[in-house]
Amino acid sequence: MKKLLSFLLVLGTLLVLAACGSSNTEESETSGDEASGNEVNLYTARHYDVDDELYKKFEEETGIKVNLIKGEADELLERIKREGDATQADLFLTADAGRLHRAKEDGILQSVSSDVLDEQVPANFQDEDQMWYGLTKRARVIMYDKEKVDPSELSTYEALAEDEWAGRVLIRSSENIYNQSLFASLIELNGEEEAKEWAAGMVDNFARDPEGGDRDQAKAIAAGVGDVAIMNTYYYGQMLNSEDPEEVKVAESLGVFFPNQDTTGTHVNVSGAGVVKSSKNQENAIQLLEFLSAPEAQETFASANYEYPVNESVEPTELLQSWGDFKEQDISMSALGENNAKAILLFNEVGWK
Amino acid sequence: MQRRLANFNIWTVGAVIIILMLFLPNLTIVTGLFTPSNDNWEHMKEFVLQQFVINSLILTLATATATILIGLSLAWLIAQYDFPFRRFLKWALILPLSIPPFIGAYTYHGILNFTGPIQTTLREGFGMNLDPAYFDIMNLPGAIFIYTMFLYPYVYTITQVYLSEQSASLIESTRLLGKGPWRTFFQVVLPISRISIIAGASLVVLEVLNDYGVVKYYGIQTFTTAIFQSWFGLGDLDTSIKLAASLMGFVIIILLIEKLLRGRRQYSYFSTKVRPLQLISLSGWKGFAAAGYGILILSLGFFIPVIQLVDWTILTFGTIPMEEFMRYVQNSVLVAGLSATLIVIFALIVGNFARMVQGKYTKLLPKLTVLGYSIPGAVIAVAVVTAFVALDGYLAPLYLAIGLETTLVLSVSIVLLLSAYIIRFFAIGYNSIETGYDKIGTNFRDASRLLGAGPTKTFFKVDVPMMKGAIISGFILVFIDVLKEIPLTLILRPFNFDTLSTKAFQYASDEKIMEASQASLLIVGISALAIVIFYKILEKEMD
Repeated sequence: MKKLLSFLLVLGTLLVLAACGSSNTEESETSGDEASGNEVNLYTARHYDVDDELYKKFEEETGIKVNLIKGEADELLERIKREGDATQADLFLTADAGRLHRAKEDGILQSVSSDVLDEQVPANFQDEDQMWYGLTKRARVIMYDKEKVDPSELSTYEALAEDEWAGRVLIRSSENIYNQSLFASLIELNGEEEAKEWAAGMVDNFARDPEGGDRDQAKAIAAGVGDVAIMNTYYYGQMLNSEDPEEVKVAESLGVFFPNQDTTGTHVNVSGAGVVKSSKNQENAIQLLEFLSAPEAQETFASANYEYPVNESVEPTELLQSWGDFKEQDISMSALGENNAKAILLFNEVGWK
Repeated sequence: MQRRLANFNIWTVGAVIIILMLFLPNLTIVTGLFTPSNDNWEHMKEFVLQQFVINSLILTLATATATILIGLSLAWLIAQYDFPFRRFLKWALILPLSIPPFIGAYTYHGILNFTGPIQTTLREGFGMNLDPAYFDIMNLPGAIFIYTMFLYPYVYTITQVYLSEQSASLIESTRLLGKGPWRTFFQVVLPISRISIIAGASLVVLEVLNDYGVVKYYGIQTFTTAIFQSWFGLGDLDTSIKLAASLMGFVIIILLIEKLLRGRRQYSYFSTKVRPLQLISLSGWKGFAAAGYGILILSLGFFIPVIQLVDWTILTFGTIPMEEFMRYVQNSVLVAGLSATLIVIFALIVGNFARMVQGKYTKLLPKLTVLGYSIPGAVIAVAVVTAFVALDGYLAPLYLAIGLETTLVLSVSIVLLLSAYIIRFFAIGYNSIETGYDKIGTNFRDASRLLGAGPTKTFFKVDVPMMKGAIISGFILVFIDVLKEIPLTLILRPFNFDTLSTKAFQYASDEKIMEASQASLLIVGISALAIVIFYKILEKEMD
C-alpha cells in the first residue's frame, strides 16, 4: 500500500508540474482567451530587434496581439508540417525566397489576395499563386579591397571563377542559405553544366577554405587574406555603423560592387511571409502582412537593418542610395527554391566546403 | 523465479516505464536503418561522407583525449594535494561549463580575429603586421581547443567528486605502503577512477558529436552537418534519419566499450562514513606550479572569454531593456530547474533498478536511455512534436469536454519542451547518479533490507544520504546544460517564450556577437551562481 502511495505521489507531482507548465504559458498570452480572435501567431526565422519594434507598433495601432515563436526556418517549417491542421501558426516569415518556396511546396501556405498587398508589393516579389509576399530585399554583392582592386577589373559573378582571381576570392561555406540561393540563381540563368563549372572555378580561386560569416569575409580582405568577397549588402551597412571602431575601419577600406550589371543583374534575395493554410486568424495575418509592407514599416526595415524596401513608394536610406542604383536579376524567386537541392548537391560534388 | 518476483515492485514498474518513455522517440531513428537508400544517400556516400566521418572522428578522439588529460590531472591535484588557491579552484574549475561552446567559439574568434584586441594592439601599438593565419581559430584544431576548454569540466567534476569522496583508506594504504605519488596515481587512482573518467569522457564525446553551432560557424563539415544538410537542404528526412541512425550505432559502440572497460571490478565503500582524504601539502615551487596550472586552464576556459564578453557588454549596454532580461532569466531558470529536478528523480529510479536487476542483458537496458543524448537536438524536437500532436489528438475530446476552444494543449505548452529536455539530457544526470550507485555498492542496501526495511524506506534512509554528492553534481550538470541548450529550446518553446540562450543565439547567428554578449554573460552568471550555491550545500553536508 505504502509503495502504491509513494508511486502515486510521484505521478501526482508530475501532473501538477505539467499543469503549472501549461498554465504558465497561458499567462504569458494576453488574456488566455484564444477565441477572442484578437491575436496573430507568427512563426518567424528573422530575429532582428527591428522586427520586434514593428510588431509592438502593430499591436498599438490595431489592438491585435502578436504571439511569436522564433527559430530556424527549416525547423519551423518542419514543426508546422508536424502540427498539421491543428497548428496554431497563422503566418510564416523567413529570410530567404528558397525557404518560402519550400513552404509553398510542402503545402503549408494558402493563397491570399488583397488590393493593399498588390499595391505595396511588386508582382515579381510575390509568389505567382499569391502564397507568399516579399517584405525586404538584400543584394549579394562583390566587396573589394580599395587598395588592391580597381572596380574596372570587376564585372560578373562568373568572372570571379577565372584564373586571374586565383587565391584572391573569399566566400563563406556552402552550408549557408544565401550562397545556396545565389548558386541556385546561376543554375537557373546559365544551366547546370555551366553553373557547376563556375562553382569548381570558384573553389580553385578560394583564398582560404570557407569559414565564418559574411562579416568575416570582409575582415579577411582587410587582413590581406584575399582581395574580393561575396557578401550581403546589409552586413556592410551594419559594419559601417558598428559599435566597434575597428569594424568601421574595416568597412571603410572596402568598396561595394554590384555585379552582372551588363548581363543578368545582381542576385537579390527577399525576406517574406505567407499565411499558413490552417490559420485560425487569417484576417489578422493578412492585416499584419499589409502593415509590414506599408511605407512606414518599410522605412523602418530599411533604416534599422540596411535592407532594401520592396515597396516601390519608399526610397532606400541615404546610405543605401550612396552605393548606387543597380539592375536586379530577372528570375522568378521560386527558382531559388526549385534549384536549392541541386545547388547543394553540386556544391558537394565540386568540394565547396 | 522467486528472486525475480521479489524484484517486482513499484520501483521496477517505475523504472521500466521511464526507460520506455525515454527510448520510444529513439525507435523512429532505429527504424531508419532499414529504409532502402536513395540517390541522396548514394550521393553523400560518393562525395562527402568519408570526409565528414573523418572530421567527426578526429574531433571526438582529440577532444576526448585532451579533456581526459586536463580533467583527470586537475581532479587528482584537487583531491590529493593542498596548494595555494585550492579551495577556490575546487569549484571554480567547473565554471567553463557555464559558457555554451558556440558562444565560446564566437568569443575566441572575436578576440583573435583581425579587428579583435590582439591583432589590433599588435598592429596599432607595435606596428606589426603578422600573418592573420597565425590567429585563425576557425579550423579543426581551433574547434578541438574550444570543445576541450568548455567541456573538460565533465571529466573533472565527476572524477573529482569520486576521488574526494572515495573511501580514503585505499589511497592512504598505498601511501602507507610507501608508494610514491606517481605509482599511487597509476596503480591505484587511475584504476579506481576509471569508471568516472569514462563516464565524463563519454559525455564529452556525445556533446561534441551533437554540436552544430561551433562547426557550422567555423566551417567544419561533420556528421551532424550531413544530417542537417540532407534533412533541411535536400528535404530528405529518410537519408537524414539514416545518418542519425549510423551515428547512434557509433554511440552504442562507445557505450559498449565503456561497459567493457568498466569490467567486472567494483569498488565500494567499506563503511558509511565517507571520510575525505588527508591532503598532502605541496610546498614551494610545486605548490605554485599546481596553482599556476589550475589558473591557466581556468583563464582559458573562463576568465579570458568572460572578460571579452564584459567588454562587449559595456559597448552595447542599454540596447535591451532590463525588465525584458528579467523575464528571460525567469524562463531560463524555470525550465532548467524543472527539468534538472525531474531528471534527477528519474535517474535515481532507473539507477536503483539497474543496481537490483540480475542478468547481463537487463543490466544494459537502462543504458538505452542514454541514447537520447546521441541524437541531434533538432531530430529529437521533431520526434517530440509528432508524439505530442498525436497525444493531443487522443485527448481532444477531453479538451472539448472541459470547454477548451483548442485541440492543441500539451503541444503548445512547456510540457513539450520539458519532455524533450528529459530525453536529451537524461544521460547527463544518469551518468552522475550511476557513478554514485556504483560507489556505494549494495552492501548497505542489503543490510537494510535484511533488517526489514522496504525498498522505498531503504532508498530514502540509506541510499540517498550516501549519494548526496552524485545527486547534486548530476543536478548541476543538467541545470547548466539546459540553460545553454539551443536547438530544442528554439523550436519547441511556447509562444513568446524567450530564454537567455535563445536570445544569445539569435544575435550570434546574425553575426551580432556584441549584442549576444549580455545574454551570454547572464547564462554564465546564473550557472556560476548555481555552482557556488550547490558547492556550499555540498560542503556543509560533508562536514
